[in-house]
Formats: sequence, structure tokens, C-alpha cells
Amino acid sequence: MISVLEQRAAQIHQNGRAPFAMDCEKHSVAGSVSQRACVFCGSRVVLYPVADALHLIHGPVGCAAYTWDIRGALSSGPQLHRMSFSTDLREKDVIYGGEPKLYQALVQLIDLYQPKAAFVYSTCIVGVIGDDVAAICRRVESEKGISVLPVHSEGFKGTKKDGYQAACAALFQLVGTGPIDEISPLSLNILGDFNIAGETWLIRNYYERMGIQVVATITGDGRVDDIRRSHGAALNVVQCSGSMTHLARLMEDKYGIPSLRVSYFGLEDMSRALYEVAEHFGDSRVQQRAEALVHDEVAALLPDLRRYKKVLSGKRAAIYTGGAFKAFSLVRSLRTLGMKTVLAGSQTGNREDYQLLRELCDEDTILVDDTNPLELAKFVQEKDVDLLIGGVKERPIAYKLGIGFCDHNHERKIGLAGFEGLRQFAREVHSTVMSPVWRLVPRRRRPSAAVEANEAAAVHFQPRCPGECSTCDLPHCDVPVGQEILP
Amino acid sequence: MRKVAIYGKGGIGKSTTTQNTVAALAEMGKKVMVVGCDPKADSTRLLLNGLAQKTVLDTLREEGEDVELEDIRMEGFGNCLCTESGGPEPGVGCAGRGIITSINLLEQLGAYHEDEQLDYVFYDVLGDVVCGGFAMPIREGKAQEIYIVCSGEMMAMYAANNICKGIRKFAEAGGVRLGGLICNSRKVDNESEMIEEFARRLGSQMVHFVPRDNDVQRAEIRKMTVIDWNPGCSQADEYRMLARSIDENDLFIIPDPLSIDELESLLLEFGVLEAAAA
Repeated sequence: MISVLEQRAAQIHQNGRAPFAMDCEKHSVAGSVSQRACVFCGSRVVLYPVADALHLIHGPVGCAAYTWDIRGALSSGPQLHRMSFSTDLREKDVIYGGEPKLYQALVQLIDLYQPKAAFVYSTCIVGVIGDDVAAICRRVESEKGISVLPVHSEGFKGTKKDGYQAACAALFQLVGTGPIDEISPLSLNILGDFNIAGETWLIRNYYERMGIQVVATITGDGRVDDIRRSHGAALNVVQCSGSMTHLARLMEDKYGIPSLRVSYFGLEDMSRALYEVAEHFGDSRVQQRAEALVHDEVAALLPDLRRYKKVLSGKRAAIYTGGAFKAFSLVRSLRTLGMKTVLAGSQTGNREDYQLLRELCDEDTILVDDTNPLELAKFVQEKDVDLLIGGVKERPIAYKLGIGFCDHNHERKIGLAGFEGLRQFAREVHSTVMSPVWRLVPRRRRPSAAVEANEAAAVHFQPRCPGECSTCDLPHCDVPVGQEILP
Repeated sequence: MRKVAIYGKGGIGKSTTTQNTVAALAEMGKKVMVVGCDPKADSTRLLLNGLAQKTVLDTLREEGEDVELEDIRMEGFGNCLCTESGGPEPGVGCAGRGIITSINLLEQLGAYHEDEQLDYVFYDVLGDVVCGGFAMPIREGKAQEIYIVCSGEMMAMYAANNICKGIRKFAEAGGVRLGGLICNSRKVDNESEMIEEFARRLGSQMVHFVPRDNDVQRAEIRKMTVIDWNPGCSQADEYRMLARSIDENDLFIIPDPLSIDELESLLLEFGVLEAAAA
């Protein structure tokens, strides 16, 4: 094992080596450059896809600039969510208070854009100088007649997870304020899917094919009026363990709506999600439709997966995700493709999550909580992985080390959820892992004449598909698949 | 140029004492600048014969970055120069940040420049040093000597002792020193002796005992310092003596604050006990 900070030792385990008790759900260690973001960022990314709401960031302009349009969450209608508005607090606003500016900004923006509701995010400095954001929101709400919701997301007051909670608390202000007539007893809300590359549409389509009404999608392709009536749904189906569990719990306590925790990534998890929802309603027609749907989708998918598996078998992957639920699905999906997960971790997993992750993973897999770039870099080298799966902050780590990378976070533009998503995931993993470019990176080089010959060839390198792939347009490589060109 | 900061419990008479002392120094021919560091902006009222001044922060707020020194500085009694930092209304914004911004701006504008030929700068700071901003005047490069206004009342002495703890911290990091205690009498029993002893235990001195005199109020209601209002009265001489003590002072130390037990036993020793027994 590589050396790590002493205080981090209990957050790193090698599966099967020692009694397992993951230390997690705690603040990041000083000196360890955590991959986590701040409370504000947590709130911002959860609420971002509510497309017909105004999102106003009360703070210095940088908070807004660095969270502007960073996610691939699509909207089927309004695009207001993609704008990032800021009160641009400066020195004199800090001294005299930012309330007048906040009021002006809200009034102007509401007049200009006519949003269905407004979210006002508090940043660090607002918490320090004590602006009464809630009071300004109430005032504008009564003057403009739309919901103006304060999001208590001061960056310093906790972890990204606290930001999720603040976002849920703000959303919950909307829930229960709309009409619930014409909602079927066979109905649900999709929670915790953010419609990255249209994933929510895909999932919604599955449920509708099963004969279930989708009342609200929170927050992917989200609409204020849908959220207002979401308490009329019979079930909350919650994906992404970290962000929306809190809202589901609030809705269960107040409206008695039960919830199911699911994942839409991978064959097993996607199928299980549909079956569990069908089972929950106990309606035989719904169950039959679910079975037929899964059957059709899987039958169409399996031949493709088999081809990828043949090539990818035995390749090694490292996974680092925000929530742990996604990590479970990725371990399973990689296994579907014949790949081994040698490192798995998350920013916000809890003890149960890690217990489950441990059971899912092979002996010797390294499990990490709230890791940092140094640890990640060292582990992926030590384990000699072919692929790192993570988000925008992990990408440069992989590329600097000459390792294939697959984006599984919310910045990506390719849908990876659902059955169709698994096909795209397999294609992406395949084209990344099998790219001939990795044969040329320093860590794969061995001193020999063959290498020099390769280097000479590399000057004229053109991207080529490594083999059996029939899905891409690249010219085929003449080196047989799976065979290394280096001695 | 000597840079002096005046601290002390809220309501103890810092602004009144500072302005009367500045008036006496000006009378002695010294060139003095007063920087009021209280959002209420009332630290220079007696020297200017009224609150006619626009504060640094209000000017910055209304006129933007293009501020001239003349916009924020006025000449007061005896050609002393007066500025008020100013700040937000109570309950909003961050007054501490205001002090930092204001002092930085004064520096940028050259208020402390050699050309100004200042003998003294006085910082009159809000009583409750509630956050880092209010310690700005005693950070490195700002005030080098501090006088604490106190009286023989228990809470005033507690406050003075606490301020000494703050001075210790900044003395180690910067170079600020305690110049002494100014006793602004509240007619407590054995007051002068007790403050002298308190100052001695801190390792310092009582620079002057200012007796209680209604002439101070009489001058204040006319928006004047005592020397301005009635230069011949005995209280005017008291402030002249205080000014001379400060001008001639050469005892600058890092104070050794008392423990609460020590402070309370000092109070008992000097008459509170007798008063309680009686």
C-alpha cells in the first residue's frame, strides 16, 4: 500500500485485508485536498435543472461564474436555468449589507424573465455579514406574486451534502402548493435524476410504457408547477442516494408518500428499478408490462454487450463518484463488461453504503472515502488501471498519468442511464480503454527497439479503431484486438 | 509622527477624552489627525463643532473610487484634521470590514504622508472590539501606542484588562505597546489609587486622573471641547496635563493582564469591601 496521511488511514481499506469499518461522513482532513465541493455548490447543482425558475446567487460574482452552466442537464422547454445570475457583492455591499442589492436584483430579474419561482442562494459572505435573505424573499414574494425561496447554502457551514439538504428544504417549500386532481393512483415522482443528456426522458418513458403516470421529475427537466403538485403522487422513486433522500423523507413524513431507492445505471439495477416499482403497485398489468419492457430492451442490448465484453475482459477500472449508489451500479456495469473494479470510492457515502460496496467488490479492491488527487493518482498507478471513471476533477488526474478516463458525472453530454445508456457506456468504455494512444504513454513504454520504432510511427499517428467495433467510423487498426504492440 | 489608539469600555468617555486631549495638543502647537473608527461617526463632533462631516465610507459609497482626501477630511479646532470612518446602520452589513476599508483608503490617499507633517494620529475606536475589523488600528504599521480609558468601576476595569489581552496578541505580531491608563473618574472610592495599582500590576502607569466635572457636559452640549468653550476653567487644565503626559511619555510596554481572581481581589482591596460592609 502507498503512504497516506495518518488521519486518512481509517477512510481507506483494502478489501479482505482487515476487519472492515469505513470511517466516513465526516469533514475533510486539513492538508488533504478533498475532491468535494462546498455547501453552496451542493445546493446549486441539485436545483440547477429546475428550468422555469430563476436562480439568483447572492454573493461575489465568482461563486456564480464558477458554477455557471457546468452541467449537462437538459430541458424540454424553458432554458432559464442555464443562466447564472449574481448580485455581484463587492466591498461596499459587504460593509453596508447586500439586502438592497438583492431586492433590486430580484425585482428586475422577475420583471425581465417572468419565472415561475425564484431560488436565492446564500454564499459564504452573506452568512458572515448576516443579510436577512429570508425577509427579502418574503417581501419580493408578496410584491411579485411568485414563490421566492431562500436556499441556506452558506459555503462554509458544512459539506456538499449539507448543500443537498438546503436544496431539499427549499424544494419542500413548493411541494403541496399545487392542485392534485387528475393524478392516477398509479403515479410516481422521479427524484434524484438530473436529465443529463436526456436521461430523465428515457426513464420517464419506461415508466409511462408501464402505465404509470410521472407527476414530477425532481429536478431533471424540472418544472415549478410539477413540483407544487408532486405530493399527489403515490410513490417517490429516488435515485442518487445523497441528494434527494432528504426530500423523500420530508414528503413521507408530511404526505405519507413511500419511497424506493433505485439506480438506473446498468442492466441489473435498471431492471430491478422497474421491477420494484411494478411490485410496489402490485398491479398485474403493470408487472407484465415491466417484464415485457425489460425483456425487449435486454434482448436488443445483449449481443452488443457480448461483443464489447470479449474485448474488455480482464481490463481494470478505478471508480470515484459523488454518491455511493452510483459506485454500486458502476461496479456491476463493469462486471457486465467483463472488467474488474480495483478501486472504488465516493465523496459522500455512509457506513451502510461502504458495507454494500465491500460486498460487491472483489478481494483486494481498494475502497476510499473522500479521497484526494494524490491518493487517487498513487492508487491508480499502483493498481495499474486501464480506466478511471469519475467527474470533472478526476479527469486531469487520469490524463496526466496516461490512463483512459470516462466521465460519469453531471458534466457529461452522453446519457448513461437506462438500457440505451448502458450501450453508450459500453461503447465509451471500449473506445477509451482500447484506444491505441495508451500504448504510447510513458508508463506503458519499455526500453526496446520496438518502442523506438513505435515512437517513429507515432509521429504519423492517426486515430484508428482497435478492432471488432462496428459502431464507430474510424479506420480499423491492423493490430489484432487485445494484443499489445509492445514486447 | 506618533500613532495613538484610544480603547476602552463603551460609554466610558473615549471620544470626549480623545477630543479634549487633541484640543490641548493642538493648543500646544502640535499637528494632529483624528480618525474616528466608530460606525456612529461621532468621534470628531466636538472638534468640528458639529457632525458636519461626510464619512469615508459614505463618500466611497456615493462617489465610487474617485475619492479625494479633501472630500473626507475636515479641519477642526486648532487646525487639527478630522476624518470619520463611518459605517452601516446597526444590524446590517459588516462594520468591521468598513474600518479595514476606510483605513486602507486613507493610506492610499496619502493621509499619513510625510508632506502632511503630522505630529500625531489618534484612532478613536468603538468600545466593543467585536471582530477583527476593529483591531485594524492596532495591526502592524498602524497605531504604535495605546491608551485605555477606564474608571474605578468594575466593568470598566474588566474591559481594560481584556483589551490588554488583545494588545498582547498584537504586540507579539506587530509592535504595538500600551502607553498607559487614563482614568476618567466616576467618583468611585479610592479610584485614583486603585487605577494606579491596577496599571502598576499590568506593568504600566496611569498617565492622568481626569476628575469628574460638569464643565465637560457644558462644553459638549455646545458641541465644543472644554478648551474651546472655556480655556480658563480648571477642567481645561486637566486635559492640558493629560496631553503633556502623553507628549512626554516614554513608558511603552507589553501589558501583563491580570487573572479574574487577581482583578477581583484588587477591587476588594480598594474599598468595594469596605463599602459593602458599611
